[in-house]
Amino acid sequence: MTDPRDMDEAGLDALFAAARGAAARPSDDFLARLVATAEAMQPAAPAPAPAAPAPRRGGWLGFLGGWPALGGMAAATVAGFWIGVAPPAGLTTLAAEWTGQTVDVGLYGEDDLLALLEG
Amino acid sequence: MRDERAEGGMMAAGSDDPEGRLLVAYAAGDPVAARQLVAALGPRAFGQAMRMLSDRAEAEDVVQEALVRLWRIAPEWRTGEARVSTWLYRVTANLCTDRLRRRRSVGLDAVDEPPDPTPGPAAAMQEASRTQALSDALAQLPERQAQAVTLRHLEGLSNPEIGAVMGISAEAVESLTARGKRALAAILAGRRAELGYDDD
Repeated sequence: MTDPRDMDEAGLDALFAAARGAAARPSDDFLARLVATAEAMQPAAPAPAPAAPAPRRGGWLGFLGGWPALGGMAAATVAGFWIGVAPPAGLTTLAAEWTGQTVDVGLYGEDDLLALLEG
Repeated sequence: MRDERAEGGMMAAGSDDPEGRLLVAYAAGDPVAARQLVAALGPRAFGQAMRMLSDRAEAEDVVQEALVRLWRIAPEWRTGEARVSTWLYRVTANLCTDRLRRRRSVGLDAVDEPPDPTPGPAAAMQEASRTQALSDALAQLPERQAQAVTLRHLEGLSNPEIGAVMGISAEAVESLTARGKRALAAILAGRRAELGYDDD
């Protein structure tokens, strides 16, 4: 019926249908390779920005731990002062060993120290 | 040298492009975006390449290359302009016609792969011969005609969609498709009996 010299439209359409129906699917292996390539070429995520420091209450005093902590620091300061002025027994001996000599310097009369603390 | 970023792909601003959003996430380092993009794009691109080339190894090469080009431009991708799928149709079609052109210059006889040797039903073997014959015939077409015909009749895209892929008007697509079909018919005419169309 149809001219054997011509591939008519129906014939061509059948050919297209055959190609469409071939249902070519990529192998899992191939898809895995595609993912590997994609990940190898992927830009690195930007590093998260450092979190802004939480605002401290009470400014510098809050940083130190507030008034309750300050009491301890005051006590430590005073203790240090005392240790320096009136070293516990043994400390002068130790100091002598480290430095080779000790010098006793009288800064205040002992009576005056009490007056200092109360002031 | 084709500039794939500049060519075609006209979509209305705000058109839905989930793959475009995935690509932006990919470029930002999203750890699952690569996998999601391959799942969304890989099978369709592979099908397109297989339908044009009828060669699994070549189709895999084409898809790998097309996606490599996509990963490369990912950092510059802007959603709301061309769709990723449009871009990928175009790049895949171009890579396929490049392969077909290489077959033509080498000589079809030298490049023709032997049919699948595994014994199967006659119909299946005939089917494979037909798809191979179509690829061979497409290789002899001008590239633009081959692309228009395959995007229309193998991928099922509409003329406006093909226009977006190829960067031409829908009318130009119509013209290319018509000429391409006539040329294909002429090329295949001699192989009609061989392809089993004798009993029409």
